[in-house]
Amino acid sequence: MTRPIEIDCEEVWRQISDYLDDELDAQLRSIMSAHFKNCAHCSAVLDGTRNVLKLVGDGKAFEIPASSSRRFYAKLDRYLASEKSTNGRH
Amino acid sequence: MATSNLQSDSEAVLLERVRNGETEAFYELVRPHERGIYLAALSILNNDADAEEVVQEAILKAFKAIARFRQEAKFSTWIIQITINEARMKLRKDRRHMYDSLDEPRRGEDEGDYVPRDFADWREIPSEALEMARLRQALKRALESLAPKYRQVLVLRDVEHLNIAETAKLLGITEASVKTRLLRARLMMRDALAPGFDGAWRKGQEYEKVRPF
Repeated sequence: MTRPIEIDCEEVWRQISDYLDDELDAQLRSIMSAHFKNCAHCSAVLDGTRNVLKLVGDGKAFEIPASSSRRFYAKLDRYLASEKSTNGRH
Repeated sequence: MATSNLQSDSEAVLLERVRNGETEAFYELVRPHERGIYLAALSILNNDADAEEVVQEAILKAFKAIARFRQEAKFSTWIIQITINEARMKLRKDRRHMYDSLDEPRRGEDEGDYVPRDFADWREIPSEALEMARLRQALKRALESLAPKYRQVLVLRDVEHLNIAETAKLLGITEASVKTRLLRARLMMRDALAPGFDGAWRKGQEYEKVRPF
């Protein structure tokens, strides 16, 4: 006998982010797990969202433009150079 | 070989060297956090040149304020906080009108429930797929399409892997707001990227596929 779906899809979407973060209590978690087994739409949303997290969480997803990173220290360089000349140190 | 313990040990050593006047050590201290602070700035400003300028300013500010850094805090979150403050200041300064484009409502901005628009079944995407420039472009475009408040939460939580409490503190919002915005941000990212999983990321093409039940 299949377990009845005890939660509607709208409620699943409201909780899906906490589900992925493991922030739900055990009871709601198991109700949702059962729902995912029986609902193709919600399991598609779950898998897709999980994929998004995997992709954006990968260090390679977002790159700093190479020209930018070379300039990150420009203001600090200038500040230190002016400090140096003020103090007369080398 | 480096362990996470050694990592924080070396951070403490670098801090000590900076405090003893060895300015070169500050560069080494910041370098591992470059990407994090850049993306934090970008999540607020949504513009590469502005983000770069803010990072330059934040690095200088952090150097000047290093004596006030409390070692029980994480250096990464401390410097991200400085960057976020700088980015917000820049946003206010550059704003010529009370409502600039960043405040325009975008898709899915309302506070009601977010209903997923696409129910395509995604195949699992291997990490190697990130080698593909078009996937990275699609991710960047999807991120840029989010309203700032959703983008900021997603970047801190899911890109930089900060926890909910850290994210809330950095953005000055409640943990409940972090969760609400994160839910929406994740579902919107999924919808924005869904076409990719049917095959191709069609360049420059606005995707509005809706598959109702």
